[in-house]
Amino acid sequence: MNTTWTIARKESAQMLRSQRGLLWLLTFSGLLSAFSLLLVSNTELSLLDNAQVVYMMAGTVLAAGALLVAILGSDAYAGEKERGTLVPLLCAPIAANALLAGKAVGLLAAWGVMFAVATPYLWAVGASGQNLGAALFYLALFGTPVVLGFGYLAMALSARTGSVMTSLLSTVTLLMLAASPLVIGPGLRGTAVGRILDVINPFAGALNTFDSVIIDSDPFSAQTGRLVLVGVWLVLCLFAARRSASRPDF
Amino acid sequence: MIDIENLRLSIEGKEILKSIDLHLRPGDTYGLLGPNGAGKSTTIFALLGLRAYESGSIRVLGGNPMEEAVAIRRSVGVMPEKAGFYDWMTALDYLKWYARLYGSEPVNRDLDMMLEKVGLGTEARRPIGAYSRGMKQRLAVARALITHPKLLILDEPTNGLDPKGRREIHNLLVEFAAEGKAGVLLCTHLLDDVDRLCNRIGIIDNGRTRLEGSLGDLLAEQGGGQRYRLRLETDPDTTNLPAGVAIAGHEGGWWRVQAQVKPSEGPPALWGELWRRGWKIMEIRSEASSLEELYMSHTGQDKHYTQEAA
Repeated sequence: MNTTWTIARKESAQMLRSQRGLLWLLTFSGLLSAFSLLLVSNTELSLLDNAQVVYMMAGTVLAAGALLVAILGSDAYAGEKERGTLVPLLCAPIAANALLAGKAVGLLAAWGVMFAVATPYLWAVGASGQNLGAALFYLALFGTPVVLGFGYLAMALSARTGSVMTSLLSTVTLLMLAASPLVIGPGLRGTAVGRILDVINPFAGALNTFDSVIIDSDPFSAQTGRLVLVGVWLVLCLFAARRSASRPDF
Repeated sequence: MIDIENLRLSIEGKEILKSIDLHLRPGDTYGLLGPNGAGKSTTIFALLGLRAYESGSIRVLGGNPMEEAVAIRRSVGVMPEKAGFYDWMTALDYLKWYARLYGSEPVNRDLDMMLEKVGLGTEARRPIGAYSRGMKQRLAVARALITHPKLLILDEPTNGLDPKGRREIHNLLVEFAAEGKAGVLLCTHLLDDVDRLCNRIGIIDNGRTRLEGSLGDLLAEQGGGQRYRLRLETDPDTTNLPAGVAIAGHEGGWWRVQAQVKPSEGPPALWGELWRRGWKIMEIRSEASSLEELYMSHTGQDKHYTQEAA
């Protein structure tokens, strides 16, 4: 059996069978339930239209997904080091890239589970509109590289620093900065700083795409620039992770 | 199996290994000795390709670990000093999973046999998180052996084990070494482990190999033999000593003797011979073994040792 797959199976099982993983899923479900209730109430009161509700829900799922893989990615090398399980792994005949790929597949599985958990909630808030399919499609297409990029970045820091705390704090700080468009609102995003952030920020790129396709119903061709942005983000993070994982701190 | 010549290695600008030489041939059980921080673990990581070195050369199973690390590791079983496991897995699941990393697919019967050998047969289906430290050490030995390696590397394998556990691990290693032409590299600070298991030793200190060779030859060269303290009923006749016995001192009612004990006869034959020569022995205490003296004299700790002994 391929070593990457062997590692990936362990990573996925660890998340799904550990108390921490189950707790995370429960918390996420609770968060989505509360958020859905709030959004549906707003829709009923005509404070928000259906497209806006779906857009906000997609953004929330993206942020939660990125946070989840930032936590798991930070634990990927440094956590194993702290628990003493990294050295036995490194002593086994696994190429550094295969180990990284296995851990990345584990992160993808976590994102996949989160996506699956989020789908009924998206359906619940968006089933009455016309844009649920687009929301799910673009959440998968843009959300996956953005989330995986944060995962790679967290793994790069985790392998380089050997400290879960350092890696987690750095990645979450960057994630909060990147997710700021979700928080700061359209007014600040219209400023020069906000516009620059939108151009270089993959998280903003994904959110703007959700905005464009869910609210404005723009075609796919209008999203290619942002798709390149999230693609470049993913490649840069992958490059950083491969560099760090080739000589991890153990 | 392992040929390391004049190895130099630095980590973050600090020179850890300055001049390491290590030669392990098929069938050898090689004891790598040295104080904490001498560079034993770093040497292991270098020969597995996990640490890049600056100069010198390393050949492991005929390959260069910097270029063929994965291929080399496929034939090497390693027990690192820190025996980390995934607590949520059972020992059986863990060994099966770990063997897959080596490209093998062991059946449950083989895994059960291995766990039985290391004394974990009844615990095979319990989560590892419930294991004691000693049980984890045993499982780490099983992990190193499960892929039938050509070369076995063990870093402090008997740490944390009770005497019975230590003996069981010793027996396993003897069995492994006797099976064929595999080699064993044993890093330890427990001289008793080396005394029992190894035919060759290397002593490293402060990143340098101080001594390397056959244990028997090195002890013979040192010519020390074993040291004992004897409490006697009366003063003995020191002019009529058996061959291979020398008086090393006399203080506070204790006679210190240095004796070359024949392995085939053991110390009791010596005590009998001394008794016949008028040594009325009331009490015998063994002092540092020759290996310990050898170790101390090559690790810059002999002065400290002498003070302690005094």
